[in-house]
Amino acid sequence: MMKKILELKDIKKKFQNKDVHKGISFSLFKGETVGLLGYSGAGKSVLLRSIIGLEEIDSGQILYNDQKIDHLDENELNKIRQRISYSFQSGALFDSMNVFENIAFPLFEHTILSEHEIDLKVSQVLNLIGLKDAKELMPSDLSGGMQKRVGLARAMILDPEIILYDEPTAGLDPVNIEIILNIMQNFKKRGFSGIFVTHDIPAAKKVCDRLLILKDGKIHFDGSPNDFDKSQDEYIRTFSMSC
Amino acid sequence: MSSITSLKYFETTGKITHLFIQFTQACFSRPFYLNRLLEQIVRLGIGSISISLVIGIMTGMVMTLQFGYGLEKFGGTLYVPAIVSMSLMRELAPIFTSLLIAGRVGSGISAEIGAMNVTQQIDALRALGTSPIRVLVVPRVLATMISLPLLAMLSGFSGILGGLFIAQTEFNIPPGFYLNKVFSSLSYGDVFGSMFKCAFFALIITLFACYKGFQTKEGTKGVGNTTIWVVVNASIVILISDFFLSKLLILLF
Repeated sequence: MMKKILELKDIKKKFQNKDVHKGISFSLFKGETVGLLGYSGAGKSVLLRSIIGLEEIDSGQILYNDQKIDHLDENELNKIRQRISYSFQSGALFDSMNVFENIAFPLFEHTILSEHEIDLKVSQVLNLIGLKDAKELMPSDLSGGMQKRVGLARAMILDPEIILYDEPTAGLDPVNIEIILNIMQNFKKRGFSGIFVTHDIPAAKKVCDRLLILKDGKIHFDGSPNDFDKSQDEYIRTFSMSC
Repeated sequence: MSSITSLKYFETTGKITHLFIQFTQACFSRPFYLNRLLEQIVRLGIGSISISLVIGIMTGMVMTLQFGYGLEKFGGTLYVPAIVSMSLMRELAPIFTSLLIAGRVGSGISAEIGAMNVTQQIDALRALGTSPIRVLVVPRVLATMISLPLLAMLSGFSGILGGLFIAQTEFNIPPGFYLNKVFSSLSYGDVFGSMFKCAFFALIITLFACYKGFQTKEGTKGVGNTTIWVVVNASIVILISDFFLSKLLILLF
């Protein structure tokens, strides 16, 4: 039986008068990649941000390896954030640093590796994302797809147990989408887990073991891509057609 | 309406105080970012030397000119060196330099942090398990607290030299006499008191700038509003607190 590494129990979150999450519960198992789908404004990104404490949940519980991680103080959360990393939709690269410095940043912050070891590790990751010649480039010199790839590289440089992918394929051309999905699959093959927020159903089916559909602040569907295709639920059918 | 404004004022004051507490805690616990501190001293401090010199020299020259002609009518030209040096070192250099730094450095810091905030770079720092307070706030506040007093002193002394030039060329005051009067009228209390005031002003400028930078929303428009807020509010607080600090320093020295 697969080990449960992340569990969300009855998560509720409200912004002013709007209930974004009305009781979300699901689990993520070791080595599994879960796709989190839903229309814009459904609260997918907010859920990812809540998992690593960038947003505070109103009620419910978030457990990482059976340890409660919601409402931890910032110092405690910083330790968790080295094990659960977040890949931002925009890449969120530090614009005053070049590609190498962006990817190496977590290594300088959280490891005692020598500069030579860091250089080696960053080069390996740059090879993996197909940007080995981009080391010295600044974020402003990169295309949107390249920025997302660098953001992904930065998120995976510490070998986290879980990566939270926030729409990594949004706004990209098919070639870049393919590259990103290959990177995600590569990460999955190494036994790591992920939550993939996207509107892109084919992409989600390609890398995810399970799909979750968010509707009205709750999980409306939780099943394999196969179950998703076979579902006769009207909302799922409409969603599937519209995305 | 006024009660809402008062509430906002107290809320802002509370948040800035909270940021100050976080800054103080971060200053006394690991990790320390010495390279970032040095980088900021070069950027914020050394980058402001030329403009501080211009302000100091020109203020010293104008002050000497005005006091010189004003006092000449009463035969008091000989008092010019003492008056110019004391007013420069005690008040004008610290205040002018601080207001300049509020404009140059305060707006720069707030725009930089504000832009980082709207482009999710602050979130990225947090998501990577790093404290934005340690990485962004501490180096900038400390760098300004170190640089501003030194810049103000540089400005003050360059003003005295500017005054010396005018005193000699316009009023025939010999340089030896001028410098003798300057050094006999200035005390260590004047110098250290001014440096203390500047360190306090630096704290105000950078805390305001960092706080507002973290609060920035609404994209580039928000960044623009942030810089305006920082320069206006930091300048007002500097001018108001200057009176109370001056009063305190007069009592102490």
